[in-house]
Amino acid sequence: MADPRARIQRLLSLVPYVLKHQGATLGELCEVFGVTRDQLMRDLNLIFVCGQPDYTPADLIEVDIDGDRVFIRMADYFARPLRFTNTELYGLHLACSALAKLSGKEASTALLSAMEKISEALREGRPPQDGIDGRIEIKPPSHERDVLSELSRACGERRVVDMEYYTYGRDEMSRRRVHPLSLEFGMGHWYLRAWDERRGESRVFRVDRIKELEVTAETFVPPEGEDLESSPPGPYGAAESGGIEVKLSFSAALADWAREQPIFTRCEEVKGRLVCVLRTENLSWLERELLSYGTEVKVISPPELKRRLKERALATLAVYGTDRPDTS
Amino acid sequence: MNKVERLIDLIAMLLQAKRPVTLEQIRKSIPGYDQSSMASFKRMFERDKSELREMGVPIEVEPVDALGEEVGYRIPKEEYYLPEIDFTPEEKVALLLVNRLSSGELTPFSREAGAALEKLSPDLGEGGGSCNTAPPRLRFAPMREREEVLNRLWQAAVECRTVRFVYRSLGKGKGKARERELDPYGLYLERGSWYVVGFCHLRGEIRSFRVSRIESEVDFMRPDGEGPDFARPADFRLEEHARILPWEFEEGEPYTAKVRFSPRMAWQVERDLGDVYRFEGMPDGGGVLEVTVRNEEAFLNWVLSYAEDAEVFSPAELREKVRRRLEKIVKSLGGG
Repeated sequence: MADPRARIQRLLSLVPYVLKHQGATLGELCEVFGVTRDQLMRDLNLIFVCGQPDYTPADLIEVDIDGDRVFIRMADYFARPLRFTNTELYGLHLACSALAKLSGKEASTALLSAMEKISEALREGRPPQDGIDGRIEIKPPSHERDVLSELSRACGERRVVDMEYYTYGRDEMSRRRVHPLSLEFGMGHWYLRAWDERRGESRVFRVDRIKELEVTAETFVPPEGEDLESSPPGPYGAAESGGIEVKLSFSAALADWAREQPIFTRCEEVKGRLVCVLRTENLSWLERELLSYGTEVKVISPPELKRRLKERALATLAVYGTDRPDTS
Repeated sequence: MNKVERLIDLIAMLLQAKRPVTLEQIRKSIPGYDQSSMASFKRMFERDKSELREMGVPIEVEPVDALGEEVGYRIPKEEYYLPEIDFTPEEKVALLLVNRLSSGELTPFSREAGAALEKLSPDLGEGGGSCNTAPPRLRFAPMREREEVLNRLWQAAVECRTVRFVYRSLGKGKGKARERELDPYGLYLERGSWYVVGFCHLRGEIRSFRVSRIESEVDFMRPDGEGPDFARPADFRLEEHARILPWEFEEGEPYTAKVRFSPRMAWQVERDLGDVYRFEGMPDGGGVLEVTVRNEEAFLNWVLSYAEDAEVFSPAELREKVRRRLEKIVKSLGGG
């Protein structure tokens, strides 16, 4: 049985919702309250037997389901939901200010005015703003904020986007024509999920790696069977599954750090070092990563990675070959 | 009788009542209460009452008559009802987005934020596809931090209460888990991870801790106290700590390094760090960044991740260190 408290709270908002929106569909109610159809039916059946003493048919709340439309009457005392608790108000303020920081300009303007209205309506229920200010800091992602608004509009209007994109995995720039489907925030970055015309499949692009973009006048029809709501967001990160198995050995100094990295599918201790395995499609990004770890990490396999790492190290060394004068 | 049903009936009765309702009337009226003895009914009612109060239902106790000998219960409508709020379509969309954010548990008390939004739902109107201001397709991936840890740290920062927890630091040598006492000054979110900043009693200075590396529960040092246990220094500025980059962590005296980036990478570096450091673009599309360095090891890791797309100009000793590091790597990879 689910938490009775959550259920009571839901019922106390469900009734006022239907009172204000008579004839709301079952589907709409499921979506708004995040419940299955079965749970919703159980909720409505329970409301049906609640009411005022003496609980004769004339005292009970009236619930009518006509087709898939819901009507509630005789429940005027539940005309409004319950006020916020302090922690709810706090939580809402924190979530709103986080989103205002993370999202495009338009969304954050609307959010701030919405929050202002809420504070005003609650008057004395205003949270101690000085408690929040200066105690929480949310660093906005590094892309320009307008990009997010532009992409968000392109998703909504289903317009084809032309962009110049840096692919970390292959360490190269490319031009792409994509059909933007959704924007997702995860691991501290915004990602664009989009159908890539040339590759004929949907891909995830990190928004801050889009160098330039143009929302074209051309519209697209979203691919069949791309049900975003039912698939979880992600996964993000450079390494996904791939044909090449890479085995690395980390020194004790980096072992704990390596264990925290989600890209490794397997980690085991061997003679004081940590041997980690990952699968990837490209080695290019690994050359850069491995240069960064220096001699704290050794490549066990494949030999090709060893060879390429050495080439990359030599190429980088060549940059330092001729001593430049200090430009300051 | 179902407990949910009993409690809904109780709220309905007390909300509707024009005068305070006595215990006897409650017992007689609500079916769920009638079969027990008076003593067990009272216990049951007390439990229900405190549970409802915890949920924020304002149950008032008032004398039934002028003599004040008998008390009754009532829920004042004006204290129960959430005022109606008239949102613009843009505001509705924005709040529906917050709902998605709270389901990703990105911020402290996000579950409570979700509960608040549920209460706003009558005023937000149809959330389904039926309205033409359907929220843009924004989604939030779940966070790694434990909700109760984040909530507790936030509460401690607001109420100025000292906490303790077991923390596994990733430092030189083996990362060791140790118990820490902390006066938390604030929380910040960067690159998808939460950090708590505060005065660390073990180190005797202000430090940042990554919340996902806290291995235990977070407990108040004085669980029975109410705070404040400490005073946050007046000159503390969270934003100064929130932007600390790995190569600015602790260690020695800070100095400035000049790094040139190739046109291929300069635009990304400028986006990423242009608001923190001085960045000067070059005619070819490249640019020079002036980086503050306190931790050379972390700086070398970072700059080498750009391979040939980055070049340390100055200071000369640092440039030399990069070169030596590269030579060492080449050497470790053997001949051929």
